[in-house]
Amino acid sequence: MTPVLRAVALEKTYAPLAAGGVGLRLFEDLSLEVAAGEMVAVVGESGAGKSSLLHLLAALDRPTSGEVWCGETNVTRLNARQAGEYRNREIGYVWQFHYLLPEFTALENVAMPLLSRGARRGVALEEAARWLQRVGLGDRGEHRSGELSGGEQQRLSIARALITKPKLLLADEPTGDLDGATAERVFELLQELHRENALASVLVTHNLEFAGRCDRVLRLKAGRLAVA
Amino acid sequence: MRFELFVAARYLRARRRQAVVGLITVISVVGVAAGVAALIIALAITNGMRRDLQQRLVGSTAHVQLMRTAGDGISHWRPLMARLAAVPHVTAVAPGLYGQVLISRGARSGGALIKGIVPADEATVGNLLQSVNEGSAAELAPNTSTVAAGSQLAPPLVIGHELALTLGAEVGDSLLVTSPQGELTPLGLVPRYQRFRVVGIFSSGFYQYDDGYAFMRLTDAQRLFSEPDLVSVISFKIDDLYKAEQVGKAIEAAAGPGFQTTNWMEQNRELFRAMKLEQDVTFIVLALIVVVAALNILIALTMMVMEKTRDIAVMMSFGVTAEQVRKIFLLQGLLISAVGTVLGLVLGYVVSIVGSHYRFIALDASVYSIDYLPFAPRLVDALVVAGVSLGMSLLATIYPSSSAASVLPAEALRYE
Repeated sequence: MTPVLRAVALEKTYAPLAAGGVGLRLFEDLSLEVAAGEMVAVVGESGAGKSSLLHLLAALDRPTSGEVWCGETNVTRLNARQAGEYRNREIGYVWQFHYLLPEFTALENVAMPLLSRGARRGVALEEAARWLQRVGLGDRGEHRSGELSGGEQQRLSIARALITKPKLLLADEPTGDLDGATAERVFELLQELHRENALASVLVTHNLEFAGRCDRVLRLKAGRLAVA
Repeated sequence: MRFELFVAARYLRARRRQAVVGLITVISVVGVAAGVAALIIALAITNGMRRDLQQRLVGSTAHVQLMRTAGDGISHWRPLMARLAAVPHVTAVAPGLYGQVLISRGARSGGALIKGIVPADEATVGNLLQSVNEGSAAELAPNTSTVAAGSQLAPPLVIGHELALTLGAEVGDSLLVTSPQGELTPLGLVPRYQRFRVVGIFSSGFYQYDDGYAFMRLTDAQRLFSEPDLVSVISFKIDDLYKAEQVGKAIEAAAGPGFQTTNWMEQNRELFRAMKLEQDVTFIVLALIVVVAALNILIALTMMVMEKTRDIAVMMSFGVTAEQVRKIFLLQGLLISAVGTVLGLVLGYVVSIVGSHYRFIALDASVYSIDYLPFAPRLVDALVVAGVSLGMSLLATIYPSSSAASVLPAEALRYE
């Protein structure tokens, strides 16, 4: 099966902060493939570069060398505008913190990715309402993010990530800021949506129990990914 | 653009995490409004003053004047006047004979420019005689008798208010008018002089006329200057003030060789140039208020970008491009400016229109020749002022919007 996501020989080195200092090599010959319908967990110690890896996969940052492919698209060769379009159409990104926009209602937050690509407001809000219903927040559409609980906020951010019907879901410790029961509900929701939409998902987590419920678990250590 | 405008408008309306950003935004709006209103009001006043001056000036004098290039006077002026009255755009024609004289009353004397006129014709090209507020100009009519009760009366003379003050003259007083164009006698060149009777004093509001002009009948002037049946100028009123130059050329062509014209714009060019300069300087000085307001916009937006760095990064993570982010903050600046500009225009026009209608600012008429402050708001001023205001604000948005567009999402979110 052709993988949805393919990272080939990625290397990321940060230049030294001061002249004469030592640079930081984060990844070295890192490779990864994720197929449609597959959920891959990436675990590793803090500072191992898990979030930075997701940034490279989402074209939020560029590798020093190596390539990231999404289907037939070489993500590392995209210019800024194309990278924006790639993130809008191909990727759903969920952060540890919900990062909702406080000035907008729950409905508007979810509709944002569609609005930013020029969709008509009515169409975007209708689709957002459908997604809010799907994540169990159908009655909270007019609420601001500050009026929602932590779990609700994260469910909202999942709806925002998936409203564009992406192929790839990147989740950076999506349950890291939640208590046990809430984290469980959010993880279950992620799994359900992953299956419903046949997504290729990469889940960065410290929670080994959740990682164990994924299709594969990879450990990021010394700049490389290895089966955990 | 709909998305960018949606976000920009919401950011402006939303309550700020940092109250000072909201405060500076309000100050920016008020600053733009104050600057725009001040500009509109100041321009309306300078326009009003200029319009008033122009109306009175143009009303007082002829629009076009024809004279001989050699300055030797126009001899066959009656048929020439009849011919020139048919030139397109000419609505009235009047003859005149100018001459410099010395007018004295006892020990007091003053120089004046005499204009010999036919009152019925003169009234059609200039309204100086309508501003006679002491006595009357009626006696200047050619058929008015100067013989009363068997005694010869001196011919009539109408003088300006300031000249009357200089001479201490009142209506009914006798003045000695001396022409330097004297007669050659065995004793040498003897100035010609003649007694005139003050029948009217005019007050036009223009110092140069009130202090230096006097009117007499054309026939009396011809006699005084020894110029039988000669005039020095033919004055014209035309139907479109601003065609004075081209109508002047048509009159010259119709008059034939040896004639030249001058018009009201040429005669008052320095005055109107000075008023335009004053208006330009006023505009520049008041535009500084808008500059300060634009600096406030720059500060407010810069602080807003700092406050929104994380949100910008999040938006970029779901596909908003750097160009869209730039437009969001550019539109925010323009929205602040647009709100301030509209408020300023409304305030400026309300004050100007109310001022124009109710004339609530009184002036000393003896100083300004007008007893109220005239307002003449123009649409073109609104367009220019709005353009300047929005243009300056646009400049102020360049740095913060570029700064917002250059946010690196990975960097911005790494340290959250």
